[in-house]
Amino acid sequence: MPAEYRMRMGDGTRQWMTKEQIRADVEDGVNNAVDCAEVPALTEDDICRIVDIMCEKGRTVSVEPGEEVILTQDGGELKLLNDSGSSSPVLEMSRTAAIQVHERALGMDTFEVAYFDPSTKMVKPVIGMEMAHCQNVMYNTIIPMLYMFMPNIGLYYQPTGPFGNPPDLMREFKIDEAMEAGDLAMKAMRDDIVFIGERILSTGMDGLDFDTTASGGDLDFVGSLEAVEEIRKTYPDADIQMGMSAESVLGINGMCEYKGQLAAGLYPHQQVKLAEAAGVSTFGPVVNTNSSMSTAWNVARAVTMVKECSKVSKIPLQVNMGMGVGGTPMFETPPIDAVTRADKCMIEIAHVDGL
Amino acid sequence: MEEYVKVLHDSMVGCKVPEILGAVDKSLEAGMTPVEIIDALSAGMSDVGILFERGKLFLPHVLSAAAGMNKTMEKLTPMLASAGGSTGPKTAVVMGTVEGDVHDIGKSITSTMLQCAGFEIHDLGRDVPLDNFIKECKENGCTMCGMSALMTTTMTGMKVVIDKLQQEGIRDKVTVLVGGAPVTQGYCDKIGADVYGESASETTQKVKALASD
Repeated sequence: MPAEYRMRMGDGTRQWMTKEQIRADVEDGVNNAVDCAEVPALTEDDICRIVDIMCEKGRTVSVEPGEEVILTQDGGELKLLNDSGSSSPVLEMSRTAAIQVHERALGMDTFEVAYFDPSTKMVKPVIGMEMAHCQNVMYNTIIPMLYMFMPNIGLYYQPTGPFGNPPDLMREFKIDEAMEAGDLAMKAMRDDIVFIGERILSTGMDGLDFDTTASGGDLDFVGSLEAVEEIRKTYPDADIQMGMSAESVLGINGMCEYKGQLAAGLYPHQQVKLAEAAGVSTFGPVVNTNSSMSTAWNVARAVTMVKECSKVSKIPLQVNMGMGVGGTPMFETPPIDAVTRADKCMIEIAHVDGL
Repeated sequence: MEEYVKVLHDSMVGCKVPEILGAVDKSLEAGMTPVEIIDALSAGMSDVGILFERGKLFLPHVLSAAAGMNKTMEKLTPMLASAGGSTGPKTAVVMGTVEGDVHDIGKSITSTMLQCAGFEIHDLGRDVPLDNFIKECKENGCTMCGMSALMTTTMTGMKVVIDKLQQEGIRDKVTVLVGGAPVTQGYCDKIGADVYGESASETTQKVKALASD
């Protein structure tokens, strides 16, 4: 009977697989990435390396000394403070103390400070409080501090915002109204991002982190890129990270362009070129995890897409490796065996600069 | 007939209403039955959903294809009746994003695809009070209840709805569908839901299979 290796499914459940089964899943994951994103396949050496990493006996795996990459946390201090439904620690401490724990106890190389409800529309009304918090954080920490907020165009649509909801309007075949509402929402979101970004950077923060960019589709993406371009005029040296929300940009509008390039349907290796053009300093690609497939399949698929992104990018990549992305299982506390294997593959094969 | 099936399928993937209706007319003239035409278009609509999920088609395309499907159904329903085909009540599905959650793009696409697959959709929208799902099942004849969530903090509402269906004594009459980014097959099993869909197209396929059993 062939040896079996511990494996996880994309939802974190335990699975035992033979090396041949793992190899078949890796090949299938690579092929799926090639098919979806139209990127080159991994080499035979890459595939063998993923299989070897998946089959390592230890519970956790790691890279060799000297090969470590930058580690950051884009969930802000609330990961220690909040109750996210079932798994967060809900610690009784200040926001600043939570950030210091990340810096001094958890070993983060950089950190993303965030408000409890970090969408652009929610941060704007409390900007004064957030500026004061950022100043306090800068006095009390050493590592680079970025301010994280989510563009989230969805909150600018009804019922939470003033503009008509394009998907709803399109279902009623009010196409012109849908397009107009989308454009207005994009402009409002872009202006609010610039408002927040410029004020936060005026406090001396090291940079900004746009988190879950394009969660509302192509308009969300283009509005964020335009905001980066605008902020760059005032703060040419600020570190501006852009982390994505999904592997492909949903075409909610379908005709929205940035610098002549249609934004809808772009995959990481294409998204990063627009990010570069806008003046983004560091790009955070996302590849979605399929919770019904194995970690071997998901990691191979994610690495295939990110490797091409890494190859074409002129700016550093800090890939998203959390719950449900980057081959990591869709589970609130992702199992460490799967997390470390996904991380190792991403560093050694896709050559990312950070996690 | 195979070439007409392909033309119907391709017209749906092309997402242009006049071309879909033109293909339907030509297929009828060629002797295809309304049921065969609907089957061919449904297969095309499934591919439209997959292409949307892969970023190859965009929302306006999906909705244009859906409009073509709706107009086709308006045209073919009387023919189905006169041919003795089934025009009885459709399976009614209540759909919504659970209370506290305003993320509804995926749910809306699923609603559209299920509608194109022949289901009667009662889409309650986003941030839906949990009791409203029960009300649709009890008072408006929905035998399927589809719930979506994007956040771990809101997906727990799905279990509440299932418990309420149980308390109302109608759990065995309602098929519960769950989906959304943090939802998995494991979570579906844990809360006692019936169907988990990884994507809009997968949900539609599973629900169609269930309804035809």
